[in-house]
Order: sequence, then C-alpha cells, then structure tokens
Amino acid sequence: MAALDPIKTAVRSPRGGLSAAVLVLVVACALFAPWIAPYAYDIQNLPGSNAEPSRTHWMGTDEFGRDLMSRIIYGARTSLSVAITAISISVVSGLTLGAMAGYFGGWFDRAVTAVVDLTWSFPEILIALILIAIIGPGVESVMVAISIAYLAQFTRLTRAQIMALKNETYVEATANLGAGHFHIIFRHLLPNALTPVIVAGMLATGDAIILEATLGFFGLGAQPPTPSWGAMMSSGTAQIFIAPWIIIFPGLAIAATVISINLFGDALIEALDIRNRLRSV
Amino acid sequence: MRFTSKTRLLASSMLVSTSMLGLAVAASAQEATFVVSAQNVGTPSYNPINGTQLNDAITLIFDRMVIQDADQTFHGQLATEWESTADGMSWTFKLRPGVTFHDGEPFNAETIVWWIPQFADTENAFMTAAIESVEVIDDLTVRFVMKNPDPNLLSNMSSGFMSIPSPKAFDALGDDFGVTDAVGSGPFRLESFTVGQETVLSANEDYAWASDLSENQGAPHIKTLTFREISEDSTAFLELSTGGVDLLYSVPTDFLPRLEAAATVQVGTMPGTGLFYIPINTTVEPFTDIKVREAAAFAINQKEILDNLYGGVGSVANTFLIDSLLAANVDPALRISYDPDRSNAVLDDAGWVMGSDGVREKDGTRLQVALWTQNGTEFKRVTEVVQAQLKAVGIGADITVFDSATINDQYRKGTDHQLAVRSYSWANADIIDWFFSGQRLGYPNVSMWNDAKAEEMNLAAMSGSRTWEERVANFTAYHEYVLSQFVFAPIYQPVQIYAYDKEAISVPETIRGTRLQSQTVVDITVN
Repeated sequence: MAALDPIKTAVRSPRGGLSAAVLVLVVACALFAPWIAPYAYDIQNLPGSNAEPSRTHWMGTDEFGRDLMSRIIYGARTSLSVAITAISISVVSGLTLGAMAGYFGGWFDRAVTAVVDLTWSFPEILIALILIAIIGPGVESVMVAISIAYLAQFTRLTRAQIMALKNETYVEATANLGAGHFHIIFRHLLPNALTPVIVAGMLATGDAIILEATLGFFGLGAQPPTPSWGAMMSSGTAQIFIAPWIIIFPGLAIAATVISINLFGDALIEALDIRNRLRSV
Repeated sequence: MRFTSKTRLLASSMLVSTSMLGLAVAASAQEATFVVSAQNVGTPSYNPINGTQLNDAITLIFDRMVIQDADQTFHGQLATEWESTADGMSWTFKLRPGVTFHDGEPFNAETIVWWIPQFADTENAFMTAAIESVEVIDDLTVRFVMKNPDPNLLSNMSSGFMSIPSPKAFDALGDDFGVTDAVGSGPFRLESFTVGQETVLSANEDYAWASDLSENQGAPHIKTLTFREISEDSTAFLELSTGGVDLLYSVPTDFLPRLEAAATVQVGTMPGTGLFYIPINTTVEPFTDIKVREAAAFAINQKEILDNLYGGVGSVANTFLIDSLLAANVDPALRISYDPDRSNAVLDDAGWVMGSDGVREKDGTRLQVALWTQNGTEFKRVTEVVQAQLKAVGIGADITVFDSATINDQYRKGTDHQLAVRSYSWANADIIDWFFSGQRLGYPNVSMWNDAKAEEMNLAAMSGSRTWEERVANFTAYHEYVLSQFVFAPIYQPVQIYAYDKEAISVPETIRGTRLQSQTVVDITVN
C-alpha cells in the first residue's frame, strides 16, 4: 500500500487530480471503445461526409462520412497502446543496459555509453524515421522505432543511478557476504534506482504519443481504416477549409492527453520528492 | 567645388541605385511560380527518351516534331511539313530552319538520324518500333523508312516522350541527362531541378520557333518560371489563395466552390486525358483465379466515388480508355460497372465463404489482400473508399502508402502487390499496350499480365495496322479482350481543372492542345 502513497498524494493536488481524471477518461476510452463509441469506426457513409458537429454526430463526420467521435475514441487505443508498449520496452531495455553498464564499468560501459551518446545526438523523430524507412510502416514498426528512439535516456538515467548507488555501504556489505553480481543488481540496486526511471518513463509516454501522432501524420503508423489521432489530423489537413473539425478534435485529444500526462508526472515528481533525490545522487 | 563633387557623386549614386532597383523590380515582375499536377509529384527525371514519368515542365524545356491540338489535328513545331506515301511505308519530314539547342548546337537532319535509334531498348521503344531507318534527304529533310505502317506515328511524335534533346548534351551526360541537366530547344532552359521539390526554368531568349498554336512567336513573356511540387492539395490551394504561387495545374473538385468564389482566382477546365484504375496482380493468389479478379472489379462503385469524392465533376470509368477515344467503344457487355450481386455470386461459386468479420475465407485462408497507393490526398481518399467497397463484398484489403517517387520500383518486384490504386494521363489507345504488354511486367504492367492471346492482339494493334480505321478496330478488339480477363478495375475519369491568380498572370482564354503545355505557356504574361 505504501507504494501507492505517492500516487494518492499526487492525485490529491489540484493539477494532479484534474490530469488524473482526464487520463482515466482516455484509458477508459481505449479499453472500452467498442461499448462507448456510438458508431463503428470504419463504416463509411459517403453522402454524409464532412458533416459538421450535430446531435447525431457530436464531433461531426470525416471525409468518408465516418463518425469522428467514434474514431477518436478508437484512436485512443492506437495512441496509448503504441506509446505505452514502446516506452515499456524502452524502460526495461534501458534499465537492463544502464544497470549493467553502471555496475560493471569497463569496456561494456564505454561501448554502451558511446552508443547512447550517439543516439542522443539525434532527435527522436529522426531516429524513428530512419528505423521505419528500414523496417517499413505499420503499428509494430512504430512501436519498435519509438522504443529505440527513447532507449538512450533510460539507459543513461539508470547508469547514473547505479554508479552512485553501487558504492553505498549496504551494497559493499552485501557483496562481502558473498552475493553475486546479478543478485546485487536486481535485488539491491535496481529497486532503489527504479523510481526516477519510472517517472521519466511516464513523462516520455507523453512525448511518445506525440511521436506516434507525428509518424501517423506522415502515414507511417496505423494504416487505414484503423484510426490514429495523427493520421486523422493528416487527412484533416486536406479538409481544413471545408471541415476544420476533422483536424481540431484529434488535435485536442492529443493535446489533452499529453498535457495531462505531463501534469500528472509533475505532481508525481513532487510527491516522490525526486528532484531532491536526484540532486543528492 | 568639393561640395559640388560630393553632391554629384551622391546624385549619381542615387540615380544608378534607382535604375538598378527599377530593373530589379522589372525583372522580378516577369517571374511566375506554377504547381505541377499532384500525380506528377516525384517525377525523377527530365529524360524524355528513357523516362517513364514526365511532369508538366517537359514541353517547356524540349520541343517536339509536332503538337496535337484539342481537335486532334497536328501542327508543326520542329517539323514544318510532313507527308506519308499511300502504303504508309515512308514518311518525309521537312525540318524548321534556324533552330538551336540551349547549348548552341544546331537542330537539323543529323539530329533526327541520331535521335530515333536512341529509343531502342528503352521503355519507350514502342514509339519508334515501326521505324526501320532514317535517311537524310538534305540538311533539313529526313525520310523515315518504315518496317510496317504506323498510323499512330504523328500522335507518338506529339508526345512529351518524343521531345528532342540536344545530342551533344545527351551523350555527354549519359545517365545524368534529365537529372543534373536537361538540354533541349524549348522556350525555357533548365536552371535547377530538385526531385520532389522544384524545377527552376529561365526564358530561352533565342526562341523563335513556336508552333502556330501560339500567339507569341518569340521568347516567352515569363523570364523565370518555377515549378513547385506540392503533394497536398490543401497546401497548394492555400499557396494560390495567398499569392505564394500563380497557377495550379490540377485542382481537386473539393476546392472548386472556394476557388470560384475567390475574387483573384480564375478556374478553367479542359477535357480529361486521364483515368483512375486498379491494376490486379494476376500472378499472385488469390487473383490467379479470374473469378476473384471479376469479383474485385465489379465491387467498385464508380458512381459513388464520382458523386461523393469528386462532386459529380468528371465521369465514371467503365473501360481502360477515356471516353473520347474510338477504341473505348467496346461491347457494352464487357464494360465493368458496379454490380455487387455479381461479385458476391462469383465469390460464392469460387468457394469463398463469408466470415463472421465480413471477410471471406476458403480452406482456412482469408480473402485479405494488399492494396497499394501513393502519397497525395486524392490517391489516399480514393484508396480508402475502394478498401471499404471491397470489404462490402468480403474482400479485406490492407492499405500501404508509398512515396510517389519510389512506388514504381516497388511494383517492379512483381510479387509484393496485389491491388493498387493508380492513374494515368494519356489520350491514345496505345496506353493499353503500355500497361498490359507482357514485355513490361512489374512496371508499367503492374497487373503482371502475360497472356499469349493478348500478346498476339497487342502485336496486331501496335504494328499490324495499315490505316487509322484498322488501328481503331485492332485496339478495340485488344481492349475488349483485356476487359474480359478482369486484369484491372476502372474507377474514374477526371476532367483537367487548372486555376491561376488572375491578378498575377494572364492566361489565354482558349488553351490550345490537349493539355496546358508550351504552346500556351509562351503566351502567358505576368501582370
């Protein structure tokens, strides 16, 4: 229960509470889309295309006459699943690589640091575009591209934490008692290094949603008719003078989700007092 | 005295500066920016001989022997006169005197002797396939000795693909011709070319050999002409509305009401020369089965696409040729028009059973196919509608969007695609040969169709016709056979819609020719 205390503290703050409410709504949309959405996301009704928001279509229809609200609700699935999966892969890989590099040092550390520094010198979007150019467009490709694009920051953060923690007295004591390297890393170091990485992962999820939307905007993410907020905005650009709601509502969905993730992340940082912990590191 | 000198110096400087400023303003006033048709975005080269895709600027850099007017008559450009013997086995062309290429090389009979053999072993070889040899009669007269009569010769020679490059530059540049430089004798010189972005042209001040279709018989009025490539229609529309560009070669019908309402924009239309269609890869399952091809072809609701995506502007396509061509008059029973009952019936007959998710299955295999398209609003919209229409009869389709510059290379692999949404712009029945000849599998024959009977009919149509009437009959028969094999599904015939900023430029009211090409552009003035 103690692990949930910081979350409770974060939710109790005004911005944490508000952002948590929005996030719960978005996650609920993603999980229960088939039951919440008023229409199917892929059924076209061409004579009803570009209809403005009304009582039958609260957010209007797109250029194919599909209900925009239903597509935004289903689009939450794509955005959240891609972003969360990609960042989870990135966090797990970053924790493993960073922990090994920070603990063992030597040539392995130098190699990991060199690769991390190299990838960190490129913007995430550039890395993602290069990777998708190699492996081809699609949801799975976007997940892989985002996870690799964000790997550097988690590896670096974990490595810094481990390097500081491995000289702590309790670690030396554990080693003197005969504990193996992996026991020390996974039982004693990583649990203490985990919190800042998890919070950084949460904040990166917001960035990943934007990156997924950007790649979707370029037509590299989910392929039609699967809805993705970025792809919806992309198709909306062609209709911007005729049906501006096609681009406005997905844009608002992205903005609300990302702002909420960032606000909740900030509230969580305060609740966990991470800034002071990082300073001491 | 010293004061006077300073004053004079100052006054002289101001006078010179003012004059230079005036000249600069005058020069800049002769500049214009056009936006190429969306389907031509990504054209990789200006090599007319080797190229398989050319954009709207090609006829400005190069001249052709003849130009075809909207009424199908031919007018001399680099040829002034021509005649054919009664048996069609010999053509004599008189060439225009005084023509020079942009590199200063002269245009004469030797140019033609060099030019015709260049087509051998290229994708465009069919254009000159009927020509056995070229004989020089005198410096400005050549005779084509034919292998067989070719009633389509003049039509071929009016094509942008039969634009005439400078032999010296062509040989010197090799594979780089059309990419790093392109040297012709047209009204504009190529200054720079960046694939997918822009082409900058400057006026050829020596130009004095425009055809009689042009009012202006001298150098073009526009001194610097930039062709921009913008794949997004809304961006192009916005650029025209805000004065960023002066002319759009193509305008989506969505924007017509807004453009027509704009005080500064003039919209014009011309008869269409193009057609949207779906090639069906006949070598990949499940489309090796003609019944599945038939089902896919009859699942396309052309009228729904015309009415809802194009606002009823243009016409439905039920064959592979535009309606204005005589070879489009096929047996009505062979026309491919939306018939979902027929699609469902043939799929049922073929053993494809409707699944619970709306996609048919047979022996545990889902009827799920790859549907390719290229970048650009229009292609993506048509493709999504096609996807839904196929789904309505139980054919699931996964869309993949490719960059327009690279998609042809993807087709050449031959086995990765199953269906695609494509378009062409061509006002001649030999487009059937281009897209369905067994000699060009992969691309342009995206359908990968290689059929012995079709090849025989192709040969008869392309090189076995002695008269125009015979050619039409042969192409009609070939066209009917193509339709009967369901190797494609027709979608839509657009009209050509262009729009320009009437405060920035003046465009002749009547566009001469079948497209907005050099004969009109030399007459365009900057206001």
